[in-house]
Amino acid sequence: MAPKKKEASSKSRPTLGEDELEWLRPRALLKPEDQEELDEADLDEDIARILTTTNPLWVAEEVAYHYGQGQFALKPRQAYGKAYPLYVFQGAAIRKDSDEAKAQVAAGYGAVTFDDAGPKRVKVKKSAAEEEEEEEPEQEPAAGEDAKVEEEAQAEEERQKEEEPGEQAPEQAPVREVKVEEEMGAGEGEAGEGGEEAETEEKPEEIEIMGEDEIIEIKPRVKKLANQFNFCERAALTYNYPKRSVETQTIPPPRATYGHTALQSVIFDFYQEDYAKKLKEKEEEKPKRLRKKAAKHVKTAQEVHDEQLAQRIREAWAILERLVNQNIYDDIAQDYRYWDDPSDEFREGQGSLLPLWRFQFEPMRHHAACDIQWNPHYQDLFAVAYGSLDFTNQLKEGCVCLYSIKNPAYPEYAVVTDSPVICLDVYKETPYLICVGLYDGNVCVYNSQLSLESSYQYKSDSVRDKHSNIVWEVRWGPRLIDGEASFFSISGDGRVVQWAVMPGELQATTIITLRSAVPPFPGPDGTMLTVNSCGSCFCFHPDKKDIFMVGTEDGMIHTCSLKYNRDYVNSTQGHHMPVYRIDYNHYNNNIYISCSGDWRVKIWEDGRSEPLFMFELGSPVGDVKWAPYSSTVFAACTADGKVFVYDLNVNKYRPICVQAVVSKKNKKLTRLDFNARLPIIVCGDTKGTCHVLKLSPNLRVMCKPPKKTKEILDQRTLQIMKLDKLLTLVRDPPFTPGVVDEKFEED
Amino acid sequence: MANEAEETVRKLTLHKGVAGVIIVNGEGIPIKTTLDNHTSVQYAGLMSSLVDKARSVVRDLDPTNELTFLRIRSKKTEVMVAPDKDFILIVVQNPTD
Repeated sequence: MAPKKKEASSKSRPTLGEDELEWLRPRALLKPEDQEELDEADLDEDIARILTTTNPLWVAEEVAYHYGQGQFALKPRQAYGKAYPLYVFQGAAIRKDSDEAKAQVAAGYGAVTFDDAGPKRVKVKKSAAEEEEEEEPEQEPAAGEDAKVEEEAQAEEERQKEEEPGEQAPEQAPVREVKVEEEMGAGEGEAGEGGEEAETEEKPEEIEIMGEDEIIEIKPRVKKLANQFNFCERAALTYNYPKRSVETQTIPPPRATYGHTALQSVIFDFYQEDYAKKLKEKEEEKPKRLRKKAAKHVKTAQEVHDEQLAQRIREAWAILERLVNQNIYDDIAQDYRYWDDPSDEFREGQGSLLPLWRFQFEPMRHHAACDIQWNPHYQDLFAVAYGSLDFTNQLKEGCVCLYSIKNPAYPEYAVVTDSPVICLDVYKETPYLICVGLYDGNVCVYNSQLSLESSYQYKSDSVRDKHSNIVWEVRWGPRLIDGEASFFSISGDGRVVQWAVMPGELQATTIITLRSAVPPFPGPDGTMLTVNSCGSCFCFHPDKKDIFMVGTEDGMIHTCSLKYNRDYVNSTQGHHMPVYRIDYNHYNNNIYISCSGDWRVKIWEDGRSEPLFMFELGSPVGDVKWAPYSSTVFAACTADGKVFVYDLNVNKYRPICVQAVVSKKNKKLTRLDFNARLPIIVCGDTKGTCHVLKLSPNLRVMCKPPKKTKEILDQRTLQIMKLDKLLTLVRDPPFTPGVVDEKFEED
Repeated sequence: MANEAEETVRKLTLHKGVAGVIIVNGEGIPIKTTLDNHTSVQYAGLMSSLVDKARSVVRDLDPTNELTFLRIRSKKTEVMVAPDKDFILIVVQNPTD
């Protein structure tokens, strides 16, 4: 390189004469003066280079000038000699016999036999700066994580090797190793499997450590010198129990398969139930005081349920019975509804009665139907009084029955009385109350709503009040001033008694005692005995509530008033035999009809002593009734088993229908009654049978409005007109109305 | 009540054409019958299911409605059933008799 440079530089200066020529001159090599002259052989000699581990530049005893001391001083010798430090770690241990240690002991740190920790503390005391330096290395291993343990162990091993020859105390080495081993052992333990091995290894170590601890423990109150070897670290491993699996099973809860269909109705029911429950809860929220009152009358749920169930069963039975009857009596029902005697069309003024159902109550086979009355409220229901008209051979018991034409087989209600029942009347206001007159003179009130076990609701006092003869007729009257219901009875003892239905009892008031035309006659002991005439029937005026007619067994018809208990308003010798029935016309209150055992039926007008009409039926007439639908139609039943129907508008002299209902050999007809709404009549016979008869079309002819008048008249007006027209024909002497009223005025 | 039931059953059986009366309890078991055992059980079982079905028909059409009665008319007999949630009354009748 050097020669080339020279050549380049010479070339760049070609103008220099001397320099140009210089290259021509032989080159003289510059040499140091002391350079050894080497011959060719020496120069050619190969010198091998050798790398050694020893530092040839190393000076054993290096000296440097120390300005502090002002002299040359020996440079601190590097202990590692020829080795290069890779990592320097300042140890904190000092030898026991070193000056520093002694100084520390003297200063009061540690005891005579103190551990290696002493010097460090002393150092700390010396300077804060040093302390920091010293502490740093101490913290490193302390903060060391498990992962670093191996590295540190290696590093420490190296250090040990380095330090062994040096200052490090030889006795510390085993302790260190133990620690390292301990750490490694712990590491192994953590790794898992060598549990027992680690344990066995650890045991001796622990003992050693314990030994050390003991030493420390001997010197109490000595402030422990801080030293990195002063701590002891222990590791313990719990037993690793071998895994085992234990299985247990509880008793399975009972299972059941449940299925249900959620129908709309089911959901509805649940809602209803829920609603009822909520209402109940609301009720319970009320103050207790209010609830107690209600609770008194509350029955238990069971009772209510039982009662309802019983009621439901009864209803179900009733319906079933009706159905069975409907099947059995289907033809009769069809007849009743649709069959009208077609022959009526061709027989002008003649009609017939179609027998429909027959009602018979088996236990009352030998009784006579002494009274029959349709229920004013239920058109298919009628009441029958079972008694006996055979006075020489009286029966002990009687019976009150309610029959429905829907059930001809059995009575809807039947209650047996202890005496034959002669008459009855159904209360119009409350059609379940029935008053009855008995053969023994008692009167009773029955409530047909109550079950059969509880017989009568009221009964007259047998000792104090009762009639002393047969009660021939009973009739409900108007309510009293106090609001109690009341009824009247007429008896063979000649008294008309008003009975007030008081709570729990019947209160009797004698209205009138019927005097007889027979003059008082002397009795066996000389006292004069008055003879009462025997009442057999009575009838209240439809409008004038005070006025009533009384028929007696000697044939008299008395007009009486509630206001006069001694005298009659009017008195007529109507019949020659007992009067059995008096009935007011439904359309004209002045007209009434009577029937008697003298075979006759008479039609009377108020204030007239002679009857307007008189019919002879050829047999004792048991009953006569005006038809509710016509002002001129009436029906009578006779003892020879016939029913006579008259229509005065059609024929004033002859019946338009005579029908034998029962055989006259062994049966007599006793009573009859028109149904208020249906074209049927019922009549009873002496064998306890009730016959329901349908009136043929000719027997129930309605009035046709006259063609002349333009105004539309209702049926009632027409009926009244019809009767008035008829009456004008038969009235012989001029009619003087208001006889009854005049009599009142006189008084 | 028991007497009343006896009496009613007796009354019904005396009616014309009534072949039998069966009282079935809520579980569908005949508790009183005038027919022979086999027929009663058969009637009870079949009628119970029929009544249930009929009731659900009526109730589903209108939940406020209620089945009150069932009448099955056949060539030979008529079966009348009074259904209730606690009992069923069955009457078998030969209407042609």
